[in-house]
Amino acid sequence: MTDTAIFCLSLAGFAALLLAMPRHQDDWFGRKLTATTGRALRLSGLAALALAFFVAGTGFGWGYGAVAWFGWLTMAAVLVVTAHTHRERIMRKIRR
Amino acid sequence: MSWLHTWTGLVPGWLLFIIFLFGTAAFFQSEINGWMKPELYSASVTRGVLDEAYAYLNEKAPHAARWSISLPSGRRPEPFTVSWRPQEGSSSQAGEAVLNEQSGREIAVRDTQGGYFLYRFHYDLHYLPQRWTRLAVSIAALAALVGLLSGIVTHKKIFADFFLMRFGKGQRSWLDAHNVTAVLALPFHLMIIYTGLVTLLFTMMPWAISAHYPSVAAFYEEMHSAGPTQEPAGEHAPLLPLADLTDRASRVWRGAEPDYIAIDNPGDAAAMVTIWPRNDAITGSPGKIYLSGVSGRLLHAAPQRGAATATEDVMIAIHAGRFSGPALRWLYFLSGVGGTMMIASGLVLWTVKRRARLLDPARPYFGFRLIERLNIGVIAGAPAGIAVYFLANRLLPLDMAHRADWEINSLFIAWGGLFVWTLARPAKRAWIEALAACALLYALVPIVSAATTTRGLVRSLIAEDWVFAGFDLVMLATAAACALAAWKVASHTPKAAPRRASREPTEATA
Repeated sequence: MTDTAIFCLSLAGFAALLLAMPRHQDDWFGRKLTATTGRALRLSGLAALALAFFVAGTGFGWGYGAVAWFGWLTMAAVLVVTAHTHRERIMRKIRR
Repeated sequence: MSWLHTWTGLVPGWLLFIIFLFGTAAFFQSEINGWMKPELYSASVTRGVLDEAYAYLNEKAPHAARWSISLPSGRRPEPFTVSWRPQEGSSSQAGEAVLNEQSGREIAVRDTQGGYFLYRFHYDLHYLPQRWTRLAVSIAALAALVGLLSGIVTHKKIFADFFLMRFGKGQRSWLDAHNVTAVLALPFHLMIIYTGLVTLLFTMMPWAISAHYPSVAAFYEEMHSAGPTQEPAGEHAPLLPLADLTDRASRVWRGAEPDYIAIDNPGDAAAMVTIWPRNDAITGSPGKIYLSGVSGRLLHAAPQRGAATATEDVMIAIHAGRFSGPALRWLYFLSGVGGTMMIASGLVLWTVKRRARLLDPARPYFGFRLIERLNIGVIAGAPAGIAVYFLANRLLPLDMAHRADWEINSLFIAWGGLFVWTLARPAKRAWIEALAACALLYALVPIVSAATTTRGLVRSLIAEDWVFAGFDLVMLATAAACALAAWKVASHTPKAAPRRASREPTEATA
């Protein structure tokens, strides 16, 4: 349960961080978002990662939680990168 | 800084690949042990289990000097082993038996080193003197730490390129793959290499010991105090039920579970029971304790650890991940896979980068050929060896002499054989054939296991036996990954380097 929560929060966090970068906004939206939206995305992304750490620490204890947090961060980032790499295929599915 | 990263990564690269590959497998050491001893089933330490051990030992060796009991953990199939040592000068023999945890009867378990060998190999290697191999592993780990840190500096755009992975772009893609596997699991890589160096602390820096102790042995004697010794009183007295003694130990440890029990002078009034805790806490485990076997009185407890030892214990605990539950163990394993891929992609990148610049691609210079051949032989050869190790576990006759050694020999014979084979083949064919061999061997593991034991994949799925089902599924996944890699290499058509393509016609006309 705690594992799922850490993973989902990290996933949301990295997705927000990805979309906060102007070069990737082009990839996903075909245009750049405003600077304010970008900053909001970056802050909420970092907040989600911090929240994931808090969930891990309170759920597992801070020692075990910290190790688990790093592990889930890696998995979440791998998933975001995989999705990003295959974005054209994903976008085609969405449009259809 | 780039040259530093290149050479600290390349020179120990193959050794690092082996360390990461076997070390990654070793996160599942106990599960692999279980799979390689299909005679065993998971069992918990219950009152009944301890009573059975007592009954067995009391019948088999009532006058032994010492009984020992290795307890199962309940989470994995682990051997429930009892052993005994006769009194000095007695004519009886020392012995050992693996018990069935339900019936308490002796069972025959195949002779194998199991996952323990994969674990040992990742820092001790094999066939070579431990002293030198550990030093080599330490130096490689130190180079890896330098390589990792200089890699971060060389990378520069670590945040800008964080999410970047571009396929089908030749050298660019290899660099992306190297960066992504390194950066995404960077906390793991830094942790595992640093704490790995801590585990081999005294190999690299023995002077703290040599400055304060007459010998290394004297240091370890003081570190792991021998505890009290008891002479037999010569009077008969019944032993307390072992379960009462382990309960008592768990109370002293505030909940830690017992792992191993030794009983000196069983049946004597001076019986002493030593109990070791299971080492599965992130903070390290409490020390062993000594109880009177007749009264249950606490005779001695290992002293509190100092701050330095406690720090070392935590680092080693984080390195080995023994404290982790199933989910975290998988995260360790997958991060380890990432690290192994980081090293492999770095090694391949070295050749990809230089192949484009070769003067005569048909006849590369010696250094290039050496590195290319080592890449094929190690990156595709070592995993094939591990698959053969698992196959040998199922196929070697159970009554073979030195069976466990021959399982290990099989690993190296297969690896060496494949290495020699790849040397005789053109580089691209060698990659394809070696990777296809890996795919085939890994795919064979669950098939052979189903044919030679009663615990095949289908049955273990039905029985919800996750250690066996998980192992077989990982074998199939590995086979699929190797097959995919072989297919990718086979279907790869190198884009002719644009410069050379344009130069050739001019040369032809000139």
